[in-house]
Amino acid sequence: MRKFFPVEELARDSRFNQVTMRDRMADPRSALVKDEPRQKSNRLVPSRPDASAAARGLMHGIFVGEIQALEGAGRTCHDFRTAGDSARRAQDDSHGEDSFADTVPFALKLDMARQAWDEARHVEISVKLSDWMGSEIGEFAENTVLFQAACSTDPILRLAGVNRALEGLAIDVFTTMKEFGDLAGDPYLEFCEDWMLADEVTHVKMGSDWLRRVTEHDPDRRKKALEFQSVVDKLFSYGGTRSDSQESPIGLARRFRELAGFTDDEVEDIAEVSLAALEERKASVARMQATAREFAAS
Amino acid sequence: MTVTVTPQTFQFVHFDAALIQRVAESLTAALGLDRPVAIEVDETTPLARIAVELGDTVTIRAESGAFEDTRRPRHQSEDATAAALGRVLLRSRDRLRGGFGEAPADDDLSLAQVAAWETYCVGRLERIGLPVNRQRWKYNFRNRHGFNDVADLAFDRLWTSDGLTWGELDEISRSASAS
Repeated sequence: MRKFFPVEELARDSRFNQVTMRDRMADPRSALVKDEPRQKSNRLVPSRPDASAAARGLMHGIFVGEIQALEGAGRTCHDFRTAGDSARRAQDDSHGEDSFADTVPFALKLDMARQAWDEARHVEISVKLSDWMGSEIGEFAENTVLFQAACSTDPILRLAGVNRALEGLAIDVFTTMKEFGDLAGDPYLEFCEDWMLADEVTHVKMGSDWLRRVTEHDPDRRKKALEFQSVVDKLFSYGGTRSDSQESPIGLARRFRELAGFTDDEVEDIAEVSLAALEERKASVARMQATAREFAAS
Repeated sequence: MTVTVTPQTFQFVHFDAALIQRVAESLTAALGLDRPVAIEVDETTPLARIAVELGDTVTIRAESGAFEDTRRPRHQSEDATAAALGRVLLRSRDRLRGGFGEAPADDDLSLAQVAAWETYCVGRLERIGLPVNRQRWKYNFRNRHGFNDVADLAFDRLWTSDGLTWGELDEISRSASAS
C-alpha cells in the first residue's frame, strides 16, 4: 500500500469541492473590515441574526475536518514502521523506501488506530448532525489544510501538527458548538458535541504525551516539532476565525486545552498567534480592497 | 416590470449581473409584483444579509454571500440567488398587498418574527417550483422557537399557508415561542 499520500489525491466523490488555504486567503472580501461596526461580536451564538446558517457552515467544516483527521490518523498508522518490524523493513527496502528509517513505538500506532476509530465515529455523527441542521454533504467547500498538516514525513511533526494543533482547534470548535447547542436548546447538537469534545481532549493528550516521550532525549527534534505546531496553529487560526477576540466566531477553549495537556504558556502563545492572524487578515483584506477599488475607479 | 442591477461588473466576486437580472425578472413575473426593482450588490463582504426598501421602486441591497455558491466561494449560485431574491420579493409583496400594515419595519422585527416570516415565504417559494431544503428552514425556525413538537407544528402551518395576515403570522410565532 502506498505511503505518504498527497493531499491532491484524497478520495472524494463529485459532491465535494476542495479549496486550499491559498484560495481562501485570496478572497478580498471580508466581514471584518467595515466603516461601521455591524454587530458587537462575531462569536457564533444563537443571538446572531445569521446563527443558523453560520452553524450549518461550521458543522460542515467539522464534518470534512473529521474525514481528514481520520485520513491523517490512518496514514500515521501506516506510514511509519515500528522498531524491530523486520518484515516491514524488508518490504520498505524492496520498494526502495529505506529513507523511511524513522521508527515509532507500537503503542503510538495503537493510539493512532484508536484515534482513527474515533474519527470515523465523528464523521458519522457529523453527517447525522448536518442532516438534522438541513445541510447536504458537499454543500460547502472543503478546505484541505487539515490533511496537509498530516503530510509531514516526521511522525513527531505530524503529531505536533495534527494532534496538538488540529485537534486543539477541534477542542475550540466543539466547545463553541456545544455552547451554541446548549443556548439554542438543541438537545442533539449539545449532546453530540460534548461527546466528541471528550474524544478530542484525549487526542490532544495523546499528541502531548507522545511528543514528550519520543523527544525526551532529542531537544532539537522537540524544538522543531513545536515550531511546526506553531506554524500550523497560525494556519488553523484561519485568519482570525479562532481567537480570544470577540471578532472571531470561535473562542479559545482554555480550560479544555489545559485538560488536554497544554501548559499555560502554550495557551498564551496560541492566543497571541491567533490574534496576530486576525490582525494580519484584517490588514491583508484592507490592502486587497483598496487595490480593487483603485482598479474599479481607473 | 424593469429590473436593474448594480454593479454591472464585479471586482471581488465572479458574479453575472445579467443572471441576477434574469432571475429577478422571472420572480417578479411569477409573484405578480407590479413595481420596478433595483438590486444593489455589496461585493466587498461575504456576509449574506439582504435588505429591502419599499417606495415607487423596490430597492434590494444584498451582500454577496446571499447569491454565492457555498461549494465554490466567490462564484454565483443561481439557486441561492433565486432563493434570496424570492424571500425579499415575497416579503415586499406581503407588505404591498395589505394585511401586513401592522408589521414592524424590517430592522425592528424580532429574530423569531424574521424566522416565522422566512418560513412563510420559503414554503410559498417551494410551491412555485424553487428548489429549497425544507429541513434547513425547519432548523432555522427551531433555533428561534424551540426544539419541540409545538414549534414543529407551527413551522408546518406557516410552511403550508397562503394568504396569511401579519396578525395571523405573528400569532403562530408567538404561540410557538411560548410553548
